[in-house]
Amino acid sequence: MRRISAALLILLLIAAAATLRWSRYDYASQDRDAIMTPSTAQHEAGTDALGRDRIVRVAAALVIGLAGSTAAATVTIMIAAGFGLLAAFSSKTLAAILLFVSDVFLSLPWLFLLMMARSLLPLTASPLATAVTTFLVLAALGWPACSRAIYRGAVELRNAEWMIHAHASGLRTRQMIRLHLLPHLRPLLLPQFLICVPAFVVAEANLGALGLGVGEPLPSWGAMLLELDNSALLARSHWVYLPIALLVIVLLALESFTSEIETHA
Amino acid sequence: MSSQTIEFTPKMRSLPGASPRARRAASSSLLFAAKRVGRTLLLMLCAAAGTILLVRFAPGFFSDDREMDAKYAHAAQAEIAAQGEAQQSIGRIAMSEVEGWGKGEFGESRQYGVPVAGLVGERMRASALLLARGILFGWLLAIGAALPISCLRKSSALLGLPFTILLSVPTAAMATACILADAGGPVLVLSLLIAAREFKFLRSLLEGAWQSPHLLQGRAQGLRPWALVRLHILPNAAPQLRALATLSIVTALGALVPIEVIFNVPGVGQLAWSAVMNRDLPVLVAVSLLMALVVGVAGMLSSSEFTLEAA
Repeated sequence: MRRISAALLILLLIAAAATLRWSRYDYASQDRDAIMTPSTAQHEAGTDALGRDRIVRVAAALVIGLAGSTAAATVTIMIAAGFGLLAAFSSKTLAAILLFVSDVFLSLPWLFLLMMARSLLPLTASPLATAVTTFLVLAALGWPACSRAIYRGAVELRNAEWMIHAHASGLRTRQMIRLHLLPHLRPLLLPQFLICVPAFVVAEANLGALGLGVGEPLPSWGAMLLELDNSALLARSHWVYLPIALLVIVLLALESFTSEIETHA
Repeated sequence: MSSQTIEFTPKMRSLPGASPRARRAASSSLLFAAKRVGRTLLLMLCAAAGTILLVRFAPGFFSDDREMDAKYAHAAQAEIAAQGEAQQSIGRIAMSEVEGWGKGEFGESRQYGVPVAGLVGERMRASALLLARGILFGWLLAIGAALPISCLRKSSALLGLPFTILLSVPTAAMATACILADAGGPVLVLSLLIAAREFKFLRSLLEGAWQSPHLLQGRAQGLRPWALVRLHILPNAAPQLRALATLSIVTALGALVPIEVIFNVPGVGQLAWSAVMNRDLPVLVAVSLLMALVVGVAGMLSSSEFTLEAA
């Protein structure tokens, strides 16, 4: 199942990249003679309310969503690992303060915090800036759950006999972390990273559906979900459902891939 | 097991015959409870401070409409701007917020021009009802599915597929699909979301429980599955279930915003969204405090040690 999920994701990414590379349309180019059209020879999956090709926009949303979420997950894991290791190898007081900070983040509703942080951007921000900020905000707010797990793993390893032996042999904390702890933490970091990717895809979609995600004309899953509010579009073509169908397929593949890795870990 | 638990009552402290061990346990439990309350208060304070900081540095948050009004002379506009600048220090904002808390009004909404306490109070009922129903039905659905599926040795992955699919649908998409299909409502969407999240954890928890040696022996001796669930699995899994219930509240609070906005439910989530869009600081701070309070109290109640069983 894991292989099927991975193959499906790779196939989708290749198809999206090929569409973006060889399509005659750009994700932002508007065909004024073909506004809200159903499937035609020029636009196989129709166009949106501004005459933009739907297939190209869905392909771009897929690439942006996956690339942004993967980058955000990488940043999250790096912050979480730094935070967890710092808490595990610091004094009890500092560890308690660090864990309380992570608890504050962890206990507040995530989407609410995201919405708040994202809304603080200037209204004149460029689409690329909104995309980068959205995923950075996701990364900045996603680390506490991972840091808890990493902290627990690091404490367990710190108290292991071979670590105590390494410490007694004169290894410095940095050396112990680099040489022993991080390689042993890898089986924990990988599932945490994989859990973050679909979570960030979903969070971006929810933010976008509220009008707080990636700015137009850059396509995103959330912005494409907003199309479903347009009853005129819905009446003309069933291709409007393409983004949501593809999003569910991508998330399903990511979820099954992650679950298998979690089980193996 | 629960029938043997000694419930802690205030009278116990004054009982002259209470053993030193019981007194020690009671005082440690009280200390623990005090710590949890303090932690919740600190959490609320951090939430309020974080909100004020975030909003204070929001671009254009403190712009005054009068600055753009042509009828004011340049000098008057400059004076308005200077006056605004003077009132924008974080200390001043925090002080005015605290004054609002002292009056019990939580300040005045910038957007609606009415006391925030009244505004939030009116909407709390709708959100509380939605949360309670959503979490209840979600848990019933998750437990109802996880219990029989966890008993099976084969095809459990296939039976759990609907929940995996549900987990893959963003809340906003699920809500939009309900509106398009003209079926279901906010409670259904919230229930499905909670059920999808909790099913995964409940199934793995129960699958682990079924594998424990004493349950295998019980099954081998012919005990009915329901008896095993009632007498062994549920009491043993109670602390994990309580922790999961807290997570459900946090999940439901997060989902409240898109659900209430898409279904146009006049609740706290919709108010929060509207306050974010209009940068309404007093409302944002009040909603943050409310969220932190709910999460803090839920965390406090979910803590197994708070049941004072040690006493």
